[in-house]
Amino acid sequence: MNREELYQVAQNWFDQQNWKPFKFQKDTWKAFLQGKNGLLNAPTGSGKTYALWFPIVLNYIKKNPQYKTKHKKGLKAIWITPLRALSQEIRQSAERVTADLETQMTVGIRTGDTTAKERAGQKKQMPDLLITTPESLQLLLATKGYDKIFKDCSAIVVDEWHELLGTKRGVQMELALSRLKTISKDLRIWGISATIGNLDQAREVLLGPQTEALENSVMIRANIKKKIKVKSIIPKKMETFPWRGHLGLHLLEDVVPIINNSKTTLLFTNTRSQCEIWFQKILEKHPEYAGEIAMHHGSINKETRLWVEQAIRNESLKAVVCTSSLDLGVDFAPVETVIQIGGPKGVARFLQRAGRSGHRPGKESVIHFLPTHAMELIEASALQVAVKDNAVEDRLPYLNSFDVLLQYLTTLAISDGFYPNAIFPEIKRTFCYQGITEDQWQWLLNFLVMGSQSLSSYDEYKKVEVEADGKFKVNNRGIAMRHRFQIGTIVGDATITVKYQTGGYIGSIEEYFISKLTRGDVFTFAGRNLEFIRIKGMQAHVRNSTKKTNKVPSWMGGRLSFSAQMSELLRQELYKAAANDLQGPELKSLKPIFDKQREESIVPTPAEFLIETFKTRDGYHHIFYPFEGRAVHEAMSSLLSYRISLLQPITVSLAFNDYGFEMLSDKPIDIQAVLDNDLFTTDYMLSDLQKSLNSNEMARRKFRDIAVISGMVFTGYPNKGIKMKHLQSNSQLLFDVFKDYEADNLLFQQAFTETFEHQLEEGRLRMALTRIERQTIVWKECSKATPFSFPIITDRLREKLSSEKLADRIKRMTRMLTK
Amino acid sequence: MAHSLIIQDQHFEMHPSGALFWVEKSTLLISDVHLGKVSHFRKFGAAVPKHAVHKNYVLMDGLIEKYQPFNICFLGDLFHSSINKEWVLFENWIAKTPSKVTLITGNHDIIAPERFEALEIDQFDELIVDGFLLTHHPEEREGLFNFCGHLHPAIKMKGLGRQHLRLACFFKTNGQLILPAFGAFTGTYVLQPQEDDQVFVIADDEVIKV
Repeated sequence: MNREELYQVAQNWFDQQNWKPFKFQKDTWKAFLQGKNGLLNAPTGSGKTYALWFPIVLNYIKKNPQYKTKHKKGLKAIWITPLRALSQEIRQSAERVTADLETQMTVGIRTGDTTAKERAGQKKQMPDLLITTPESLQLLLATKGYDKIFKDCSAIVVDEWHELLGTKRGVQMELALSRLKTISKDLRIWGISATIGNLDQAREVLLGPQTEALENSVMIRANIKKKIKVKSIIPKKMETFPWRGHLGLHLLEDVVPIINNSKTTLLFTNTRSQCEIWFQKILEKHPEYAGEIAMHHGSINKETRLWVEQAIRNESLKAVVCTSSLDLGVDFAPVETVIQIGGPKGVARFLQRAGRSGHRPGKESVIHFLPTHAMELIEASALQVAVKDNAVEDRLPYLNSFDVLLQYLTTLAISDGFYPNAIFPEIKRTFCYQGITEDQWQWLLNFLVMGSQSLSSYDEYKKVEVEADGKFKVNNRGIAMRHRFQIGTIVGDATITVKYQTGGYIGSIEEYFISKLTRGDVFTFAGRNLEFIRIKGMQAHVRNSTKKTNKVPSWMGGRLSFSAQMSELLRQELYKAAANDLQGPELKSLKPIFDKQREESIVPTPAEFLIETFKTRDGYHHIFYPFEGRAVHEAMSSLLSYRISLLQPITVSLAFNDYGFEMLSDKPIDIQAVLDNDLFTTDYMLSDLQKSLNSNEMARRKFRDIAVISGMVFTGYPNKGIKMKHLQSNSQLLFDVFKDYEADNLLFQQAFTETFEHQLEEGRLRMALTRIERQTIVWKECSKATPFSFPIITDRLREKLSSEKLADRIKRMTRMLTK
Repeated sequence: MAHSLIIQDQHFEMHPSGALFWVEKSTLLISDVHLGKVSHFRKFGAAVPKHAVHKNYVLMDGLIEKYQPFNICFLGDLFHSSINKEWVLFENWIAKTPSKVTLITGNHDIIAPERFEALEIDQFDELIVDGFLLTHHPEEREGLFNFCGHLHPAIKMKGLGRQHLRLACFFKTNGQLILPAFGAFTGTYVLQPQEDDQVFVIADDEVIKV
């Protein structure tokens, strides 16, 4: 069949459904069949799956004219999804195409949820179309003879690429693609991304800078304009409106009419614990919803999640409380209304959530915004502007992630082994490692083989061996097994499986939470009250309980920062307030808050930089308000506290949010000295920042992931209940050992560079400081906490910095009698 | 800077390394060294810096120079796991150390007793010396004061300004002193002091009573 005939096949199918293909779908078919790579910019629910499944199947038809009667076996295409929860949905749309076009193609899923039996079956005979995750793809590269599996693969589609970009899973993808480009001779690489600020870069990262693959590629934009309306839920009595820490529950009754007036409502929360609490409280206050509302987050077991997703489609649920676990993929036509609880911390994410409602083309999407503290209403006001201007943020890709590279090289070494001369050019053409030097490469190879840079007689380090012909290979089964377990753990903390004593998997929780429980403690998880019985291996045993509790597991992460644009918009809204130009219902409603703020302090104008100091029973609070977003505040607080610690020996705890940052200490900081010594200067910024990282714990925290990914800390494997006796350690201990003995280790160094380049956004910090230099500094000594300060001082997640001798600190402290 | 302590009219010094020196008996008590841990990790593919191997020996040499003890008694968990090449380092260390070495066996000590015998190291499950009971696991026994390890004790401290510290410590109750882990690459376990307990934390090169 020629190309026109193939299009006709697709066109006929659309006609049969009474659908009309969009232009972006047809453009994608054409580009794909021309053998091009590309990035498709299309939102969820726009028919993006059909834009790519069709040409994949058509390409097979083209190559196999007898496709209706004869089946050519073997893997033809891979579809990567960041969330395994999405795989069912993608499978259904794929099967629809393959079946309706009367091909005999098979579709399979391979994720962490896939049974061992299924996986073994796939090993014997791969499905034609494989839906998988970045981790599971890495695991395929860890199987012997993997090159044969991918030999005839004609396409790889990376769905939700914007979610992977800017994460180490994205780097895993870059590396896997670099290998597939070599072993799959006729491969097309496609990404699908929602709108982000740096789409062109997203394409470059996917395909590799200055590669043929990039040259032979297209960008296709769906250009589906959605009308989005943001409605803030404004508390009736602003004076009694709590400022923070109430998770928005005081507005629960305002949510009820919204739920009642709509077929299905999704309530998005920012954290899983918030999700648990909201679910509990709604049921507690409105038992009539029992059976009509459900909960969905990433730690709940697969069956429950699938059940909830299906129930949404069946319209059998009135409301679902969820987290970002429902951000992606899955189309839920019946969702009429979306409620966002708390600031969404990103315009792209907010738009994506808003797009969950009113899924039919041309229909307006309505998103209700429920603030959890007063300051978030300013955010809501800024979001309105952002939505209008489509001011979405960038996702910054990682550079030189040596931990992921070491993991990848070990992966290749446990399957078929690798020759450095063949692999180096491949990784050198990825975005992440484009700047890697020969020296660094040699360092990594030494590290893999010797665990250091030189041989020594007593050392028994064993991992990768170099065979006679120069092939790097793992021959030890134990090492191979531990490495396979480790691949999936790229994203996180040690987790513990929660199970009923009588059997039955409930979900997984971070070890950190479980370690604080003692026998008999009751906690809320997966919508149930559970009594903790014991830890066994990597499992926590529980039983149902009728006791009430306020213990809800916390999950780290989920702390996103405002982008530069969003911070700018936020400042603009605030300046309106400073000028008493209170437009829009949000700002109007905040008038009592602004009045209160002005009692002892000010609402800063563009020309002013506000510092507040006051004392509470917690200690001395020093609050700075740059309004630059969390990431910049994190850097600035680290820099400033370091500079202050040079003036006086001091110990501070740092807290930051999107509006400003706090230094809390057990003694007052001399603000006048801060001003007199010009501590906000951009001079020596970088070296000061570097030094500040040595005196606080940000790099230490980064090192945790690096140690796990590069295989230096073994976490065990929760679902398998495997614990490595005598190999347990923690990254904190390891960090200290590196600091003392191997500070030039590339992985140790990476902890510091990552903090700068990825987390702290050095460029933005410099701009922020330059701006402050031009502003008038207004220092207000207050008698108590101001409304602006409240959300910051109540933040419990803190950084520490100290320039005092330990012994001096101990003398001022008391031993803790309670945990 | 060590901190001295008198128990049952005997004199002791708590050293910031975690060791306890018994003056009258000229005996150095050391608990939970976990020798070979770094090598064990490396053998299993975790690239802990290999230079860290020597730290424990350097520390122990420093103590021997300072106190010149007749006896050294390890309160268990001397070795972290099965035998590895660090044993050779240990042999060399024993050969040049003039003190008499004794080992109270701990739960991690799985290396064959014959190997210790060959180095003339006596091994015991417990030792009773003049009203003092030396064990690895904490024990309570009438009329005896117990020196032990095993727990890797630490305590949490808090101060104004939401300050928190977690510090390794010597943990003393009425009839017992739990030694901190001596080993350089070992973790800690937080204990809750009761009213009568005394806690001596290790702060860099000092031992401070809190």
